[in-house]
Amino acid sequence: MKNAKAAQKELPRQTRAPLITKLALALVFALGAVIIALGVSGQRAYDTSGFSAESAYGAIYALSKDVNAAWEKQLQPQLAALPAEQRAQVDEAVRALLDAAWEGANPGSAAEVESILSPVPEGERTALSYKLLYSAYLVNGPKVSTAQKKEIAALSAADLAAFRTAMLNGVTDESAALPAAAEKAADLKGQERQAALMQLLFTSDGAAASTESVNTLKKGVRDKVKQLDAFRMIARGEVGWLWQLIVSNSRTAVLVGIIIALDALLLTLLMMWDKSWIIDVKWIIILLIVDFLLLFQLMPLVYMVIKAFFPEGSFSLETFERLYTYSLNLDALTNTLIAAFATMILGTLLAFPLAWLVGRTNLYGKKFFRALFVLTYMVPPYVGAMAWLRLLNPNVGTINQWLRVLFRLSDAPGPLNVYTLPGMIWVLTSFYYPYAFITISRAMEKMDPSLEEASRISGGSPLKTLFTITLPMMMPSLIAGALLVFVSAASCYGIPSIIGSPGRVHTVTTRIVEYVSLGQQALNDATGMAVFLMVMALIILFISDVVLAKKQYITVSGKSVRPAIVDLRKWRVPLTVIVSVFAVIMIFIPFATIFTTSFKIDVGKSMFQAENFTWTNWQTVFGRTETMNCLKNSLIFASVTATVGIAIACTMSYLLQRTRVKGRKIPDFLITLGSGTPSVVIALGLIMTMKGNFGINIYNTAYIMIIAYLIKYLMMGMRTVVSAMSQIHVSLEECSQIAGASWLRTMFRITGPLIFPSIAAGWFLIFIPSFYELSMTTLLYSSTTKTIGFQLYEYWTFTSQPMSCAMAFGILLFVVALNFLLNRLTKGEFSI
Amino acid sequence: MATVTIKNVSKAFGDNVVLKEFNETFQEGEFVTLLGPSGCGKTTMLRMIAGFEKPTSGEVYIDDQLVSGGKTFVPPEKRSIGMVFQSYAVWPHMNVFDNVAYPLTIQRVPKAEIREQVEKVLEIVHLSQYAKRLPNQLSGGQQQRVALARALVAAPKLLLLDEPLSNLDAKLRESMRFEIKEIQKKLGITVVYVTHDQTEAMAMSDRIFLINRGVVQQSGTPEQIYNEPINQFVADFLGKVDFFKGEAANGRIAFPAMGGQSIAYDGPRTGKVEVAIRPESIYFAPDGVLEGTLEAQYYLGDVDDCRVRVGDTLMRVIANGYEYKALREGQKVRMNVRSFMVFEDNGLLEQMLKIQT
Repeated sequence: MKNAKAAQKELPRQTRAPLITKLALALVFALGAVIIALGVSGQRAYDTSGFSAESAYGAIYALSKDVNAAWEKQLQPQLAALPAEQRAQVDEAVRALLDAAWEGANPGSAAEVESILSPVPEGERTALSYKLLYSAYLVNGPKVSTAQKKEIAALSAADLAAFRTAMLNGVTDESAALPAAAEKAADLKGQERQAALMQLLFTSDGAAASTESVNTLKKGVRDKVKQLDAFRMIARGEVGWLWQLIVSNSRTAVLVGIIIALDALLLTLLMMWDKSWIIDVKWIIILLIVDFLLLFQLMPLVYMVIKAFFPEGSFSLETFERLYTYSLNLDALTNTLIAAFATMILGTLLAFPLAWLVGRTNLYGKKFFRALFVLTYMVPPYVGAMAWLRLLNPNVGTINQWLRVLFRLSDAPGPLNVYTLPGMIWVLTSFYYPYAFITISRAMEKMDPSLEEASRISGGSPLKTLFTITLPMMMPSLIAGALLVFVSAASCYGIPSIIGSPGRVHTVTTRIVEYVSLGQQALNDATGMAVFLMVMALIILFISDVVLAKKQYITVSGKSVRPAIVDLRKWRVPLTVIVSVFAVIMIFIPFATIFTTSFKIDVGKSMFQAENFTWTNWQTVFGRTETMNCLKNSLIFASVTATVGIAIACTMSYLLQRTRVKGRKIPDFLITLGSGTPSVVIALGLIMTMKGNFGINIYNTAYIMIIAYLIKYLMMGMRTVVSAMSQIHVSLEECSQIAGASWLRTMFRITGPLIFPSIAAGWFLIFIPSFYELSMTTLLYSSTTKTIGFQLYEYWTFTSQPMSCAMAFGILLFVVALNFLLNRLTKGEFSI
Repeated sequence: MATVTIKNVSKAFGDNVVLKEFNETFQEGEFVTLLGPSGCGKTTMLRMIAGFEKPTSGEVYIDDQLVSGGKTFVPPEKRSIGMVFQSYAVWPHMNVFDNVAYPLTIQRVPKAEIREQVEKVLEIVHLSQYAKRLPNQLSGGQQQRVALARALVAAPKLLLLDEPLSNLDAKLRESMRFEIKEIQKKLGITVVYVTHDQTEAMAMSDRIFLINRGVVQQSGTPEQIYNEPINQFVADFLGKVDFFKGEAANGRIAFPAMGGQSIAYDGPRTGKVEVAIRPESIYFAPDGVLEGTLEAQYYLGDVDDCRVRVGDTLMRVIANGYEYKALREGQKVRMNVRSFMVFEDNGLLEQMLKIQT
């Protein structure tokens, strides 16, 4: 019975809660709609006003307050004190001056003054005419020099009152004496004199309108005739606080309205899907993250795509036609595809045997080699490019010099030339093979050894086993690794910009950057290329994340995870030698080159040659304030990005791993999409949408860079934390809660400490690439937001190679030190 | 069909000796089980026979041919052995037919013959209708049978099984036990079977080698090992057993902890002894020699699991299920002991029973 009663009591609450929620959602949606409507109407009002900037409305509002205050506090009392006769004379003069001012701006508009003033009641008419004159004089009145202003400002209170009276007297009586501060007007006659005196009277007002607002108004309303509308609006106080806010931020209002309405809609959908009408805080968090990504990631990309298909507002495929009809574009396109494809093949061919040797055989020093190959992964690509340029420059390249001596060739340039497509492919490969190496070796080391043993016991030789069992099972990872190399090489900017540009080997990324620098006209070509690059990258992302992921054989066994080690026997020493030579060529020589070049005066000669050794490169580079500013910028941007990123990553990991809340996959999807989008494309999208045309203006600021870094690198951090959290069984947390700890305490005492190494690792994984980022920075920097990566690029291109080598080696040392720190901090569990 | 001779085989990983001086010959057609707690070295022995590990010292012969030892080492693929792994190791990228056909494909057997052989062996393991399936479409038990079929298809002389049933659920495990035994009988092959499950070992084996800490504790038929354990560890590992300290004298063993109560003994030992009694060999009888108080009883259906306090000790008695209703907790009971084992009390019991992992 008791239960039944309780159930009855419960019932109304359960039915009421959804009702309230639905109502609240409807209200939020309506609010969004209202804000959109206001924004749109503001936009329309602005469009019809003929003003040249929305900010005019803000200025009108501010000035209208100032003018009103001036009238009420100064002019009106003073006029009231005048004798009635003089007052009438002044009123008449003002009216005449007003007509003259309007006639001056637009002949024939005196009639308009009449039409403004006549409908107003008798008593307020004079006030309005004074205000109209005041606002007109604010913008277009007789000039008052700064010296005069200073003189007036210097007057004492009593003198000021006398000055004002003198002005008014002057208006009515041309022979009246003028005080010193107004002596310039003494030479003037008639209406000109009256105008000057009125202007001085207005200027003498303590509550004078701010020059800032006046300037904004001048800029916001350039057209003289339209200015008259503005004066009317000022004098009549037509623009209210809310209205000015809406009009001057109409785009932002529309954007905010859309976001609010979208959020309400999304929340409703989630709730309908979940069949629960109780608002979950987690949804709010998800929505916030989604809003951020929608605004700064999806909107720019979608806008870019729309722009590509509707270049002049109407549908046209011209942008894409130009991709292959314009030879420069076609060259860039084919170069990119050839380079990426060749890099993929070469990189995978290098990575697979290396991963096998290091992961699955008894090669000498395999741990060292492993660390070495992975190390390349965190080196900025342009540093590698610089190194290979030093080595393979056709004239002074070190390797070319050696080869010429070795094979007794003539002193002609060559035999190798890095400034060619094959040269670029070689450098791309040397930088991107670790991507495949990491993917493949991870899969290889996770494979259940008994799968291979089963083949051996069935009669398969080790080689046969490699080809019939190991390789086919590795195929999905192999392809995923290869695709990763392809897309990374295709979207790389650093290497082609350093190697390709001098050699006129253009790629899609270098073309995009060049087009952007050419300005608005070339932007169409840039969007076309960006859309091409983006579509390619996203297709590959889809293949490796969806298609291949399904094919991935789950080979993680419950028991022994240590893979069987193949005894290389008589091949052990020769293979170790081969791998060592490879490591020396790929890693040691390039970095050593950077190091030695940084001490050279003449790059063509050896560091040890007489008088070719110097410290000045290092001193100059790191002694400059500009370098230090860039370094500071890089550190700040990267720290902020990493901190914000890791906070989002932790939140997302918790949502993904610990809750079953509906919709948690949406931000996950967007984040994956963002990281899969080529850097140059992200930056281009941001440039096109974040300069105020959509209500957000962060162009040329630090924000736009941090946002770009976040979009690109957030996933690195998120994946790390997610995988750490997935390895902590929920029961560990549940056990803590059973023991009486609150959720928060459990997070801090159990989950936090357990995943701390991963959080730290995630932070560094976002920090390091953001620190030396170049592709996005090239498009987004401004004179105050240059970063160290861009500074290095500028040094290399415009200043001196030895100096840039000093800087590059400095960056390299810093990154290696960070990695070491990370390794220590996480007790060796993580390093990149 | 094949004999396996293991001569003085020891194996150490670094300083850690996992197997000491293994010396045995497995006969043709024999079902041999290596039994022991995890980490005892049984799997290492099996992997040395397979050729996945090399003995640190000693030799392994298959059919009198040296396969491991000295400078000789025949790699696994040359040993013509069938093997079933604990994780089954069914290749996920091949279907059932291809998995099973693999050993024959390696031997370059003609296609038609492969088909015939594979179908035959799939028939044996009851998987004929699954030939085209991929492993991820199969249950654990089916995958296990694919692994078995693959191990049998090339008609090996020797079949190695590494805990093949440990990942299956209890019911399936029990039926697979008999299936494997049936197949072995039918084909007459020599089987070396590794398990830590004593019931499995008892049910299938011709001979059991009970290993602990790298040393064979006892070998023999299941019956010998169960009934005539050579030491306390063996008695303890197979079945349930309780140890009681006693004094053997004048044809009786008296238990000080039971208030001096005693049982008849006609064996050779005298003085301090350790008596191992299996709970199922104690039965309630009105004229029983031991007297105690029934402290608790747990009804398990087929049996009635009782705790009886005798003096200061608690004795476990497994009585027939139907006795549950007849007995009351707290009542006085008398018991007789059907059989028991007597060991010398060397004070090392604790240490002997300890399982090293």
